[in-house]
Amino acid sequence: MHKRQKSGIFVSAVFLTAALGSVPLPALASGPGEIPASFAAAGGAAATYGAAAEIMSYTDLIHRSYDASYKKAVVMQKAIDALLAKPDAKTLAAARNAWLDAHITYSLTEAYRFYEGPIDFAKNAEGDEGPEGRLNAWPLNEAFIDYVEGNPKAGIINDPSIKITEKSIRERDQAADEKDVATGFHAVEFLLWGQDLSETGPGNRPATDYIAGKDNDDRRRLYLTTITSGIVDDLLWLTAQWDITLGNTYIHKFVALDQREALGRILTGMANLAGSELAIERMSVALESGDQEDETSCFSDNSHKVFIADHDSVKNIWFGTYGDWKGAGIVGLVTRVNPDLAKRVTAQMTKTTAALAAIPHPIDHNVLGTPKGSEGRKKMEAAVEDLIAEGKLIVEVGQALGITITVASN
Amino acid sequence: MIKKKVPPLVFAAIAAALVVAGGYGFRTVRSTGALPPVLPVDMPDPMSPPGGDYTTALSNRNAFADPGVPLTTEERRAFSFGNRLFNTNWTTAPGSVKSFDGLGPLFNRVSCSGCHTRDGRGRPPLNGETVFESMLVRVSVPGKDVDGGPKPHPVYGDQISDKAILGVPAEAKVHLSWSPVEGTYADGTKYELQKPTITLSDPAYGPFGDDLMMSPRVANQVYGLGLLELVYESDILKRADPDDADHDGISGRPNWVIDPATGRKVIGRLGWKANQPSILAQDTGAARGDIGLSTSLRPGQNCTPAQTACAAAPDGGEPEISDEFLAKLVTYSRTLAVPARRNPTDPQVMEGQKLFASSGCAACHTPTMFTGHAADSITLANQTIHPFTDLLLHDMGPDLADGRPDYEATGSEWRTAPLWGIGLIPQVNGHDRLLHDGRARGVAEAILWHGGEGEGARERFKALSAKERDSLVAYVNSL
Repeated sequence: MHKRQKSGIFVSAVFLTAALGSVPLPALASGPGEIPASFAAAGGAAATYGAAAEIMSYTDLIHRSYDASYKKAVVMQKAIDALLAKPDAKTLAAARNAWLDAHITYSLTEAYRFYEGPIDFAKNAEGDEGPEGRLNAWPLNEAFIDYVEGNPKAGIINDPSIKITEKSIRERDQAADEKDVATGFHAVEFLLWGQDLSETGPGNRPATDYIAGKDNDDRRRLYLTTITSGIVDDLLWLTAQWDITLGNTYIHKFVALDQREALGRILTGMANLAGSELAIERMSVALESGDQEDETSCFSDNSHKVFIADHDSVKNIWFGTYGDWKGAGIVGLVTRVNPDLAKRVTAQMTKTTAALAAIPHPIDHNVLGTPKGSEGRKKMEAAVEDLIAEGKLIVEVGQALGITITVASN
Repeated sequence: MIKKKVPPLVFAAIAAALVVAGGYGFRTVRSTGALPPVLPVDMPDPMSPPGGDYTTALSNRNAFADPGVPLTTEERRAFSFGNRLFNTNWTTAPGSVKSFDGLGPLFNRVSCSGCHTRDGRGRPPLNGETVFESMLVRVSVPGKDVDGGPKPHPVYGDQISDKAILGVPAEAKVHLSWSPVEGTYADGTKYELQKPTITLSDPAYGPFGDDLMMSPRVANQVYGLGLLELVYESDILKRADPDDADHDGISGRPNWVIDPATGRKVIGRLGWKANQPSILAQDTGAARGDIGLSTSLRPGQNCTPAQTACAAAPDGGEPEISDEFLAKLVTYSRTLAVPARRNPTDPQVMEGQKLFASSGCAACHTPTMFTGHAADSITLANQTIHPFTDLLLHDMGPDLADGRPDYEATGSEWRTAPLWGIGLIPQVNGHDRLLHDGRARGVAEAILWHGGEGEGARERFKALSAKERDSLVAYVNSL
């Protein structure tokens, strides 16, 4: 569940076009970053440790992560264009693979949430919110978008009275019901896979849903390209917000923050993704519902990899890594301040990594569809416990650095 | 337990008022005669958190959706799963997911959040919309059921289900039309209100009859209910003044209803007419009435004997919401925190606070209440809260009357609506519709619709200058 930040009726983000080479750069009418300091006050006196290298490295890591996510989204967009140019099993499979890659790469950015940074800032007076809700909201009501089993005429796609534009889709996104998600990765996922009605495999939408000129296929084609381009635009905007070479972007505000305020934001994102969003909203809720398809990437059966990527997003900040890139991780700072605690965090991350890897997948068939007390359920419960423990340790890291951070679950 | 009875004289007076006013017509505003006195009320410190420990700092679109306090891991899991249930789109049985099937057969919406979007407030259809997305119409016929509650229509039951699963006819279509009502403030400024008229068409199960009583209701916001559930009963009863012994023009009576969990008569606290005693009763009532989901507390399908296709439709298991799921849904509903005030010390707001008190609003919209003991939650218990309701029923005059009694509430009585958080409804739900049928566009119109016991406050509001009126409205929106 990605409930905390949603887009919908209040989306009034006016898109301006700024020059970034020849690429149109979407920018929100009012930007993020003007929230009051929420962590710096704790402890009073100035921090005695220096964290400038780690904070700069963190901003570099974020920029790399969003840039990679943007580029994978462009690859996905091209694969979707190829599918629409020649809809067949091969182009559909290629588009699905590109989605998987793009969504996992996006999942690697999720530890940058939860502190009202660019991804989910809120400006109440203007009604603006960050793009998280329209990028990755879930669960979604499939029938709000397209046909479902038993209702061949369902959804915006099959309602010719609605003109399909970015504006008309956004106006309907989560407006009348939180589950009426009209945009983002999971909407694209549904349009590529269809409903997962299979006990053992993912959804199986045919490529023939995208034949130009047939039935409502043109509307489905337009819908898919419209929301895909929305994902690309939002990721480009996020990348720009963390680009130090551009003027008037969030990164300049972030690097100017008091060190403890910056570290408070960094740790808040890590602790809340591990200890709350992933452990509770995505994993515990799925475990408690006894519903085989109550999982975050249910159409593609990819939830297990999302869990791992989300946790990698936390680890990347801790270790200062992203693929082959090596920066200054938070671990270095904590090692200087409290080496024992740093070792405990690293050990917990290793343990959590193993626990997540041990969950049998796909989880719909091997965990969620199994009875209470099953091996699969025990393994996923164990991973939940490890993630909660990890979240608590990150809170401890905050204490060691003179920062009070809060995780929604403890 | 003392059961307070309303003297027959009051009933007679209300009946007479209804006759004189023609039931629903707009009553001419009283322009002469002294208003009853405003009794002094202690207003809370602006910085006092409205929900005590159950106050959330969020003021964005999720302001009504937050537990506010740190929860234990177990509580958080129950809360998050309850939230998931609140957002679940229930499906027709038999469905591929057994734990979430059993919709209808007759229903209004397929999920809780369909009406209470982001735990917030519903509204009437607007701007050419025809479907009731977050509003419904209660119905009954004269008399009382065995519990003393409204007597259901023998065929259509106690609420119009305008939707049904495939193969079962929906009960009827509901229509709403508006007519303008003009008025003038004391300073000469004119205003125009909108009066709704509800009509039914396409009855699928025969005629409604001549004695059908209808009450349109928008979905209420659902935060802070755990606190209202725990307000001391004595705190509520001590404010009741059925005979207006203090001569302030305001009586106030508790509603007494049957608790489905115990069968006992208890004080009603929740709902537009205070006809629900607890969150468990409220949640199970809405599940059955609005979505068509059975629970162990309210078993069986929501069909009347005449609705044969409804009765013959498959159910989603008995009960359709398991006790385990229901417990989590109740935990969720109990735990939603009250939003903090946004700008409580703004000079305009501070002026509005004085005017709120001096205009007599606080006589019913009680600023401060206290919660009692909660065996399982120290954070809900023993709280000083600022709900701005006395949880009592008040005669609101013929213009707001629905003419449909509900337990001891007459057809013109309504529970004082809590005001905490209502200034955030536009932020959360994208509209500013207030009152039971969503007729008021914002706080000022809601005040202008007050009649009956609220007439004095309304007249004092109308006598204010434009600047003062703005301040009072700013205060209410800051709560």
